[in-house]
Amino acid sequence: MANSDTLEYRNRRTDDAQRLLRLALDNWLYAATILLCIFFAFRAPNFLTVDNVINTLVSSSITGIVTAGFTIVLLTGTIDASTSGITALASVLCAVMFQQWGVPLPLTLLLLMVASILMGLVSSFLIIEGRIYSLIATLGSSGVFLGLSVGLAAGQQIAITKPELQNALFERPLGIPVSIWVLFLCYLLGYVMLNHTRLGAHIYATGSNYSAARLSGIPVKRVIRIALIIAATTTSLAAVLATARANLSLLYGVTIGGVNLADVFTAALLGGISLRGGVGKIERNLVAVLFLSILSNGLQLMGTAPAVWLVIKGLAFVGAVIIDAVRQRL
Amino acid sequence: MSNQQPILQLRGISKSFGFVQAVKNVNWEVYPGEVHALVGDNGAGKSTLIKMICGALLPDSGEILVKGANARIAEPVDAFRLGIAPVYQDLALVEGRDVVMNMFLGDELTHGPFNLFLDHKRMAIETQRVLDEIHSRIPNVREYVRRLSGGQRQAVAVGRALIRGGEVIIMDEPTAALGVEQTREVLNLIETLRSRGKTVIFISHNILQVLQVTNRISVMFHGEMVGTRKTSETNEDEIVGMIVGTKRDVLAAQE
Ligand SMILES: Nc1ncnc2c1ncn2[C@@H]1O[C@H](COP(=O)(O)OP(=O)(O)OP(=O)(O)O)[C@@H](O)[C@H]1O
Ligand SMILES: [Mg+2]
Repeated sequence: MANSDTLEYRNRRTDDAQRLLRLALDNWLYAATILLCIFFAFRAPNFLTVDNVINTLVSSSITGIVTAGFTIVLLTGTIDASTSGITALASVLCAVMFQQWGVPLPLTLLLLMVASILMGLVSSFLIIEGRIYSLIATLGSSGVFLGLSVGLAAGQQIAITKPELQNALFERPLGIPVSIWVLFLCYLLGYVMLNHTRLGAHIYATGSNYSAARLSGIPVKRVIRIALIIAATTTSLAAVLATARANLSLLYGVTIGGVNLADVFTAALLGGISLRGGVGKIERNLVAVLFLSILSNGLQLMGTAPAVWLVIKGLAFVGAVIIDAVRQRL
Repeated sequence: MSNQQPILQLRGISKSFGFVQAVKNVNWEVYPGEVHALVGDNGAGKSTLIKMICGALLPDSGEILVKGANARIAEPVDAFRLGIAPVYQDLALVEGRDVVMNMFLGDELTHGPFNLFLDHKRMAIETQRVLDEIHSRIPNVREYVRRLSGGQRQAVAVGRALIRGGEVIIMDEPTAALGVEQTREVLNLIETLRSRGKTVIFISHNILQVLQVTNRISVMFHGEMVGTRKTSETNEDEIVGMIVGTKRDVLAAQE
């Protein structure tokens, strides 16, 4: 009797320890972000000025928007590595249609959306019908998109001289730049979709237990397809913002202002999205994006060498993978 | 009971996986309101058979009748629509989500414009109602399934079957991984389902449990349905004999 009592007691203790660890894993990022802000407020000159806050948000917007869609795909248990291909193709398409063909801006955006859907469909076809592991399939489709973009742009960066695109980007509704609006809108929509719609519930279920979801009558393949389309759309959106900012098409999708897949991965994992799918919160990923952006900005203001930032970013990536591993063992 | 119309009737159902003929020309009847056991040795074809009833597998040949009408069950949703609700051997629960979301998995309640938004509140209330109905002891419907005990998970899976309007609840080895206390919980659950007028198909390797809670017992052997007995008119020896293949209706008929 006494024996089973101690056993139960011990079980409860490990239970409590696990609960605490999970609580820490779930919330450390919020605490770290606040501490980081406090630290930089004292140590980094001009950190807390309105201009700097807006700058930081603007500079995080592109990676942030891509991360939003990327997160949704990861939640279905799929990895979408087609970011750079989609960025390149969307950017070049934007430049070609808007600048070279003279398509009006709204129609350009609409056509880009159609193109995004098609790009998402290509990846999902390879993954679902081709039964290719998603990381490999999307690396493949990324290569195809990249090739198409280089061909379409004839190997050149296309300069945009028509002013409407950049002017639209420089609008400031309520004093806040467009890219920040888009960033927050993406996460707001993502949050509502994931937590308050059937699609969201199906995305979590599909990523968490594919066969259980299927046996419960969830159209798992369609869920994955929709997630990939969402990701292609947000990535294209980010590409348009980057193109507008540079007034140049982004060849290879990685020139200045482009998107780095490693950054997106780092943000998603720091935010606690599991690579195995079904676990994580999109709002925390927004915080992860901001955290990285604040870190970069603060270090810059303190006059740290860029190399330091690159090393820290690398460490953050490794740290995020380790945290993911710990979380999975829980 | 036999002069009633079967709620579920199989005619000549077969299924092969490559060279393995898992289910061979099975004819089977299940009557409304009964707890009907399906027993047989490992690999006898029980899970395969019920997967075809539940739309998780397509039969190679044969037909399935539900309430006397020919039914086409190609997808899990088709089975749900006909009132057939499986509780799978591996439970098919999503560990990383809470009890409520598991209860309504794939059939979530919605409200608002265009029924766009999940009705979390109503789902929680319904969940609590169904769990109370089957006397389950889950303290918090917002608990992650990951943190539930085996018996509690079984209750969630059964609750889900009920919520989806299940008339025929199919339980594949619900007590296999459970301790004494939790096994009793599941057996009580079956009792409760019977008292609610549900039909239960109960797969188990534990003959004593089967004799204890069922009305009838069907035995499969090497993919074939070898016979059905009324629980009140049979005993452990006969059933075990049928399971290991020494007592078959066919043989009995030849003698
Ligand atoms: N998906 C599959 N692919 C190939 N063979 C399969 C598959 N599912 C089942 N089988 C085979 O079909 C036969 C019947 O298996 P089934 O799972 O239906 O048996 P069972 O009666 O449920 O056994 P148990 O009591 O062990 O659960 C076995 O020989 C099994 O190996
Ligand atoms: Mg089985």
